[in-house]
Amino acid sequence: MSDIIRRDPRAEWIARNRLHPLHAAMQQQGTPSSWMGPNGVLRKNPHAVGFIGPNGIKRIDRSGAQQASGQRRAAAEAVQLPLHVVEQPSHIICVVPDMVGGRLSSHDKDLLGLARQLAGSGGAVLAVVFGEHKESAFDTAGVDRLLQIEGSEYAGYAPEQRLQALAAVERQFVPRHWLLPDSRSGGGELGRRLAASLRERPATRVWQVAGERCTGRAGAGREDINRPLPRLILASAECAEPVSETRHQALAVSLDNGVARCLPRIEDLGPVAVDPAAIPMAEAEFILSGGNGVQDWALFHKAAAALGATEGASRVAVDDGHMPRARQVGATGTWVTARVYLAVGISGAIQHLQGIGACDKVVAINLDPGCDMIKRADLSVIGDSSAILQALIELAEAYRNGGARDAA
Amino acid sequence: MLNTLLPILLFAALALAVLGALKRFLMWRRGRPAKVEWLGGLMKMPRRYLVDLHHVVERDKYMSKTHVATAGGFVLSAVLAIAVHGFGLHNRILGFALLAATVLMFVGALFVAKRRRNPPSRLSKGPWMRLPKSLLMFSASFFIATLPVAGILPEGMGSWILGGVLALGVAWGVSELFLGMTWGGPMKHAFAGALHLAWHRRAERFGGGRSTGLKALDLDDEAAPLGVEKPTDFTWNQLLGFDACVQCGKCEAMCPAFAAGQPLNPKKLIQDMVIGLAGGNDAKFAGSPYPGKPLGEHSGGPHLPIVAREGQGLVDAETLWSCTTCRACVEECPMMIEHVDAIVDMRRHLTLERGATPNKGAEVLDNLIATDNPGGFAPGGRLNWAADLDLPLLSDKKQTDVLFWVGDGAFDMRNQRTLRAFVKILKAAKVDFAVLGLEERDSGDVARRLGDEATFQQLARRNIATLNQYKFKRIVSCDPHSFHVLKNEYGELGGNYEVLHHSTFIATLLAGQNIALGQHALAQQGAAITYHDPCYLGRYNGEYQAPRAVLKALGLEVKEMERSGFRSRCCGGGGGAPITDIPGKQRIPDMRMADIRETGAELVAVGCPQCTAMLEGVVAPRPEIKDIAELVAEALIEVPSEAKKSAARRETAEVN
Amino acid sequence: MPHNELNVVALVSVGAHPTSGRARRAEQDARAVELGLRLAGSKLQVVHAGDPHAEALRAYLGMGLDELAVLEQGAGADALPALGAYLSGAGAQLVLTGSQAETGEGSGMLPYLLAERLGWPLVVGLAEVERVEDGFAQVLQALPRGQRRRLRVRLPFLASVDNAAPVARQSAFGPARRGQLRAEDVVVVDDALLSEAQLQPARPRPKRLKVIKAKTGAERMKAATAKASGGTGQVLKDLPPQAGAEAILKLLVEEGVLR
Repeated sequence: MSDIIRRDPRAEWIARNRLHPLHAAMQQQGTPSSWMGPNGVLRKNPHAVGFIGPNGIKRIDRSGAQQASGQRRAAAEAVQLPLHVVEQPSHIICVVPDMVGGRLSSHDKDLLGLARQLAGSGGAVLAVVFGEHKESAFDTAGVDRLLQIEGSEYAGYAPEQRLQALAAVERQFVPRHWLLPDSRSGGGELGRRLAASLRERPATRVWQVAGERCTGRAGAGREDINRPLPRLILASAECAEPVSETRHQALAVSLDNGVARCLPRIEDLGPVAVDPAAIPMAEAEFILSGGNGVQDWALFHKAAAALGATEGASRVAVDDGHMPRARQVGATGTWVTARVYLAVGISGAIQHLQGIGACDKVVAINLDPGCDMIKRADLSVIGDSSAILQALIELAEAYRNGGARDAA
Repeated sequence: MLNTLLPILLFAALALAVLGALKRFLMWRRGRPAKVEWLGGLMKMPRRYLVDLHHVVERDKYMSKTHVATAGGFVLSAVLAIAVHGFGLHNRILGFALLAATVLMFVGALFVAKRRRNPPSRLSKGPWMRLPKSLLMFSASFFIATLPVAGILPEGMGSWILGGVLALGVAWGVSELFLGMTWGGPMKHAFAGALHLAWHRRAERFGGGRSTGLKALDLDDEAAPLGVEKPTDFTWNQLLGFDACVQCGKCEAMCPAFAAGQPLNPKKLIQDMVIGLAGGNDAKFAGSPYPGKPLGEHSGGPHLPIVAREGQGLVDAETLWSCTTCRACVEECPMMIEHVDAIVDMRRHLTLERGATPNKGAEVLDNLIATDNPGGFAPGGRLNWAADLDLPLLSDKKQTDVLFWVGDGAFDMRNQRTLRAFVKILKAAKVDFAVLGLEERDSGDVARRLGDEATFQQLARRNIATLNQYKFKRIVSCDPHSFHVLKNEYGELGGNYEVLHHSTFIATLLAGQNIALGQHALAQQGAAITYHDPCYLGRYNGEYQAPRAVLKALGLEVKEMERSGFRSRCCGGGGGAPITDIPGKQRIPDMRMADIRETGAELVAVGCPQCTAMLEGVVAPRPEIKDIAELVAEALIEVPSEAKKSAARRETAEVN
Repeated sequence: MPHNELNVVALVSVGAHPTSGRARRAEQDARAVELGLRLAGSKLQVVHAGDPHAEALRAYLGMGLDELAVLEQGAGADALPALGAYLSGAGAQLVLTGSQAETGEGSGMLPYLLAERLGWPLVVGLAEVERVEDGFAQVLQALPRGQRRRLRVRLPFLASVDNAAPVARQSAFGPARRGQLRAEDVVVVDDALLSEAQLQPARPRPKRLKVIKAKTGAERMKAATAKASGGTGQVLKDLPPQAGAEAILKLLVEEGVLR
């Protein structure tokens, strides 16, 4: 790094311009020179103002030129969001996130956003987390209070024990609202169990909360039900915008009384190994689909395993006997709803394209740049499918290994 | 000696034959009752045999002539032999006549023998290999035995030994030809075939008529079986029809499923029904088995389920679901056996009683019940394809000249091109037309062929109720399946309409000069095209000419495939076959595409959404597939300016 | 099958087809019946609370049931008391239900409330009953993305099935026509919810836009231009396979499907 002082006119301008959105962030680097005192009076530290010039003499330069150059790199780093402090919560909104893989899922974050909305300025959002977690961003997700309930009895599938703990939370915190994700990853089940044990009638599949009423899907999704906001809310993904502009305390709290251990009537014997190829295609969220252009089917299967994708196939590949009939994607096969559909060597017959209409992202690997699949795809790679699949396998493995190190 | 032996032999054989006939007749009568014209049928039988059946047999000239000689010779010689040898009318003229008849029969039998020397695989072997010898023996024996009657040889000529040998020969011939006829030999076909013609379940087929619509089940009668579970659930004349099979294998040679290696062989299926009729197993079947299914593993009886619920029955369900209902077998059958009826009857049982429609069948039927279309699309989207076309709705107009029946192709993006092309033609021809729009439902074709008669009748009755609200002269459809069902199968439920396929309708528009066509671009390039006859248009409804006439009007020269017209090979899309999807060694559309490629055509014209879908499913590079409506729309010369001008002129004329 | 002795009850409702809304057998309930038929065969009892004249119920009979008990009640009634009372007297060891109804509120609470009321354990998302012995059942529970978990649960228990359970067999016309719908009179309790809530046709939920919280003009510009280029797909041509694969991997990671 060179010692040459480089001026950054933009940073200087931001430092001068107190109305600029990045002004506060730039100023907050290092010791703050002024802050809001507890009594609402602005306090200043005169020693923190200015800097030591090249000759060892302290300089105060209100033009901003010097200040900015010193903090230029720091400014590019994470922007510190304002901290929202709730000292004495007027009420509690209790959220039980799914914590899939020990982290807040996007569904959880949406839910916390909704909780934040319900908490308002005076309330606090209490997140109840079971067991160990790997999440480091409870503060930016909008958690004011964090209750971590640990113990071996909560490990694995223990809905009845968790229910006991939530009953204890209910007694101690008396939350104004309970919020759980209406998901298949546990929230939907735990929420309903809680509703049954609290004798609260929940609003389920809620996707909108407006004032004192909420709207949720009803029946098989052809109708909405609009009703007064109940105490217990099971909300769908994207029910609200996640918290993004504030930071929260995420103060750890604990239960005053221990939770009674219940005698489990359901015993968890552990997960069962499931062949990814056996996952029903309509359920899969990532499908690797092969067509007429796949030459090396062994490699195709290897790639599916390496990517953790469910296998699909075009009609031709099925007809040619490379894949079983149940794996056929398309209007005459299965209509799939995958988030990512990776089509290898599929030219994209109209029936096939109809079958993948609901897919979010379509990636095509094909030799022919003019085929219909390329027109549908969000990303297309023109080239030899075998070579690309081979490269993809290697990259995926490398990514996995890197990712594993990251997590450790 | 022969004079005493021959009458005994003849009358004993005749008596036994009558006994056998009675037994066989009672066997058929185990089936359910069917209305037949008892005497009238018998009276009409010779004409049906000599005219209608002959038309079918005549397609194979060699066999036709051989059969005329052999069968004619046999009938003559049998009658004369009974007169001469049985009743002892030793008249010289009769003797000569008998000699001539036996010679005729002998010559015919020689040709039969010749064909049997190196028989094609479709022919059954086994006892059938013995038949020419028996025929020869019968004719030769009677020839020699009649020589003295004709006075060519003196009476009492020959030794005891010769007489004995002769008597043995007569005994052989007589037992094959008389006893075998009613006791289950190859000659059974003559006896059962004749009665089958007399009491055929589709008498309308004779005298140049056509009867291809499936017969409705009476769902109001709760005691009646829903389809056929065991052989005795067939009507008795169906059982009789199975017995008429000559095992010539013409059906087998034409069956697309058999050629594709799917486990179906129409000939074997009919023979299995015969086994079911009498009880036993199929080990002695002397023809080609169902592909992939060895002989001897299946057995059944008149009161046993044909398709077993567990283990092996008489026929496997896959066999029944392999059929595309293309009717190629029925078209070819010289005995006019109704294979497709039998298959659908058995499918009805599987679907209505067992709920065992394979693969996507159950889903499709559920969709038909819940959404009136096989794809399960929201019924409200039925007219989305024409959102910008401003189609007149019959519910607004109440009456129209042409009701355009859109069909379920409305939901298929490929077929929408055809539909739009046809609308363009209708508009260009200024036809007064309308569509039912959201009031239209699936015609019920797929449901019916999948054996779900209940859903078919429900759809059909609702469609009929809708149609009855309006006035229209004729229905035109781009889908031969809807066309066939509306035309031929709604009648039984009370809906009788004049229905046209769009190719027929376009042909009449052309004939009436209602539309002007230029030369098609392909014709200008001199490209070769061919035409694929849809089964439900051609074989089911006899429309072979109109599509060809339309193509000719476009200036396109059709290079016919080897299998075209009434012998057209199915695309594999009929009868719900793509839904039940029984695996074979190859795919039917691939075979059809090979037929198309053989002509060197760059484009194949079709007239059916199923055929389009099946043929377009063949991997490229392949000839292009276009519906006739699309081809016509491409070459349509629209004369709006001229028309307007003339209209304007007329107006001014009126003002003046 | 060792389960033939098992006394199984399946609770069914009248469903609605997702596109046409026409009454039909409910998808998940039919799967519950299927599971029940596999476990108990013809001994399976099937119960519905509602209108005994609903034609859609015949679709369950068409799966091969001889009869179906209907606890007769009107459209706005609460099914819970009737079913609870019926089940406490039915002597069932396993009660199967769908996860949620296809009509009405469809909150999916019924199995939970029934389990609470009966004091039975509840298995959510039952996929398969592996074996039953000594008053315990070993079952497989369905998890998202096709995963399974093995559980051991005490009899009697309640289980809800979702779309991971075996596909329901076809409903055939013959048995559907022959089967009996046996109506039983029960005390009818009205559901309070309908007085305060309204059902309305589902509004399509807008897809969440990627909200760009740009602090600077440059960021806004970048976001805006990136969006504009996202209209049609990106086509990568004449690249080494490695580069193509990297682009794909990047997308997979962004979408979060690579785990």
